[in-house]
Amino acid sequence: MEIRIQDLVRTYSSEGKQIKALDHVDLTIPANRIFTLLGPSGCGKTTLLRCIVGLEVPDGGEIYIGDELVWSKEKNIFVPPERRGLGMVFQTYAIWPHMNVFDNVAYPLQTQKMAKEEIRRKVAKVLDFVQLSGYENRPATKLSGGQQQRVALARALVAEPKVILFDEPLSNLDAKLREETRKELRSFLTELQITAIYVTHDRVEALALSDLIAVMRSGKIIEINEPKKIYFNSDSQFVADFIGRANLIRGTVEELDGDHAVFASEIGPVRALNSQQIPLGQEAFLCVRPEFIRLAKERKEEQNSYSGKVETLIFIGEAFEGEIRIGETLLTTTVEPTADFREGDSIAVSFDPDHCFLLAS
Amino acid sequence: MFKKPTLTTTLIIIVGFLTLCPVIMLLLGSFSKDFVSFGQFTTSKYIAAYTDPDFADILVNTVIFTVGSALHATLLALFLAYVNTRTDLPFKFIFKIISIIPMMIPHILFSASWVLLLNPSNGILNRLFMNLFETREALFNIYSLKGMILVEGLLDLPIAYLIIAPAMSAFDVSLEESSKVCGASNLRTLFKVTLPVLRPAILASAILVIVRSLASFAVPSVVGMPGRIYVLSTHIYRNISSGFAADYGLAAAIGMSALVASITLIYVYRYLTAESGKFVTISSRGFKPTLLRLKKWKYPLLVIVGILSFVLILLPVLVLFYISMLPYSMPPSARAFSLMSWNNWIEVLNDPISLLSLKNSLFLGVVGATLGTILSIFVSYVIVKIRTTASGILESLSFLSFSFPGIVIGVGFMWFFVRTPLYGTLTALMIGYIATYLPYGIRPLSSAFIQIHSTLEESSRVCGGSPFYTLRRVIIPLLIPGIVSGWILMASMFLRELTLSVVLSRPGTEVLAVQILRFAEDGLWGRLSALGIIMILISSLLVIIAALLGSRFSKLEVVDR
Repeated sequence: MEIRIQDLVRTYSSEGKQIKALDHVDLTIPANRIFTLLGPSGCGKTTLLRCIVGLEVPDGGEIYIGDELVWSKEKNIFVPPERRGLGMVFQTYAIWPHMNVFDNVAYPLQTQKMAKEEIRRKVAKVLDFVQLSGYENRPATKLSGGQQQRVALARALVAEPKVILFDEPLSNLDAKLREETRKELRSFLTELQITAIYVTHDRVEALALSDLIAVMRSGKIIEINEPKKIYFNSDSQFVADFIGRANLIRGTVEELDGDHAVFASEIGPVRALNSQQIPLGQEAFLCVRPEFIRLAKERKEEQNSYSGKVETLIFIGEAFEGEIRIGETLLTTTVEPTADFREGDSIAVSFDPDHCFLLAS
Repeated sequence: MFKKPTLTTTLIIIVGFLTLCPVIMLLLGSFSKDFVSFGQFTTSKYIAAYTDPDFADILVNTVIFTVGSALHATLLALFLAYVNTRTDLPFKFIFKIISIIPMMIPHILFSASWVLLLNPSNGILNRLFMNLFETREALFNIYSLKGMILVEGLLDLPIAYLIIAPAMSAFDVSLEESSKVCGASNLRTLFKVTLPVLRPAILASAILVIVRSLASFAVPSVVGMPGRIYVLSTHIYRNISSGFAADYGLAAAIGMSALVASITLIYVYRYLTAESGKFVTISSRGFKPTLLRLKKWKYPLLVIVGILSFVLILLPVLVLFYISMLPYSMPPSARAFSLMSWNNWIEVLNDPISLLSLKNSLFLGVVGATLGTILSIFVSYVIVKIRTTASGILESLSFLSFSFPGIVIGVGFMWFFVRTPLYGTLTALMIGYIATYLPYGIRPLSSAFIQIHSTLEESSRVCGGSPFYTLRRVIIPLLIPGIVSGWILMASMFLRELTLSVVLSRPGTEVLAVQILRFAEDGLWGRLSALGIIMILISSLLVIIAALLGSRFSKLEVVDR
């Protein structure tokens, strides 16, 4: 089911100051996709989610879930959360401690006064789906973090909602479990063909899970795109910087050539993607991600090739994290653990024109 | 969502009436000549009250009594808390008992049992002492300021302990360790580091005990009055209990000074506890302090703590039971055992007034605590879950009555009820009880509400539960433990209530504690003891039933399918 948000405004006042948590947000979330709201804390992503669910009342604008108008300031419409027919997984899971697994999961069906047999059947089915069969009578307080997370997911899915919302559901799990659960969640959601709205501040989570990512900052949506496009060729400097580690190098556009441009920078001329079509002579930033910087002992004649020096090299287990100096500029890179460079070595640096891109400054 | 402001306002009106009405009526009453001429301004009562030549003595007595009790209770609590949290003394469960159980023994019975032990003419301990040393001098005369301080200090020990013990265990031990590393001895560390850091908690405890003993009526009436030692609370009582010449205007004028003193002290207490939050350092690492090894001191200390818990818990009940079986008070002997019978019990159970007081107290305990708990649920909900200026006002209002001395509030309510048809009814007593003991219901309930994280409600709403459905399936079941402990606290307070009741109780609305006071005044110690034991049994029974019901309810949710 599609969700449409028009001109949504939500303002908080705190210590006499007005804070715009949502600053005239317009957004269409397509049906049956995994849509992620990504941004630093305080950017308004959770507020937006809570407004969609109905736990928070916006100050202005309209929200449609499918064809139904659930909130409108002008038309004075507010559909309470219990009548929006959504499923939600909370950050703290919000599993009711006084109920067992069955009652927690059956709750949404019990509110609909469904027949007991029907409830039992549906709960069994959804518990099987999240691989918790046999845990029905376990008290909610006797579950591990991962199991609580699945109970929360089962509870959100059991009434077969058309839309399911996630508020940082993995942030309370430890690193290893988080990775596993992320994969599981991805396969669950793909299997279900359901609209999922996912809020997170973790860029890896966003990239790994989403069909579409919306990056937010100070109550505004900066960019909506597919994960690859966001990572490799973002439209905005903020997004490029936020979504991963990036080297940003200042310079001016010297020559235009279709998708590409030649960019006069501090380290010399660079051929790079110019999908924003930044015009000739304009000041801009070049963005190169550390993992796309290639190092070699000998310099070969190719595009975007420079001489530099290894400034620092730190072993971090899966790789080296290096800083390479080219003139006055320091570039962060990731170096394979098998490479035999040392600090102080002179070195050849290169990167593919398709793996670096220009950003308007 | 749209009803919340009106709920807050309604509660502010109810709680505001309950707490402020007696104060306002007290103030107005103190400027009136009598009930009939209410509203005609006169300062004659103030002049009469404060030019009374006895008043200076009463004031001095009050100061000695309250400060003495505070010293007694606080020093004892400090000792117990230190021994419990910082030494390797065995059998530490005793401390939990010492800190909680004495609250279950009504103050008037505790005072009465000490009178039975230490009164100068036939106190059991005094008699034993006289027989042992063949003297006519009593060991200790309880009918003195010393005696009052002894009993009141023991009664307030749990309160002092509950303030000092947490501060002691939250204390960052590295402060002490660094003092020891610097070369200071254990004793020097105690006096130079530990006690100074704990100062706010110690002061807070002392002030709270002063407030409690200022409001205390059981000890001054049972222990003080027979020795003609009057403090403010008994002075007020004297002015309203003297049959035909009861002067509620004078009582109100005297009461104003107790009220002002009490409110001031509570204000200081609040300030100090806010300060102590900054002062006492809680280390985030949950490590246990190294315990001081007592070695040869272990067993002497254990004996002291053992005697103390015996004196606080078992002795009063034993003395009462023993005396209830005897025709008159005497030390244990072959003769005493040969005279034992159930006569006192039979007389009490055939005494219509005792039976009426039993019925009235049970009614007030069960119905009053239920109504009080319902009010507390709403008030706690607004205080914890709706954080607005109005809910802040409600919070201050609902804890205000904590600082009001009961007998003074009783006089204030008297000025109010005498103008309504409620005068001399159980309803009047119930309104007074709920007003005075509301904080006892609100405290456990607001901590229960704090534990119910808002997402537990929100997830129910998203799952399709309406606000009412959410209340029934999620909030109420999670609140049950808080409701049960609030109910138990209120019910046991109401069952034993004395200070408010001595003012408001009228023929027909006698309650247990007042009836026990009458027995004490008439020297009917055997019947007093029998009725007292019945009172303790009933309140223990109520506590047990409530606890059982509570555990039934919280399991119900799982069974219901």
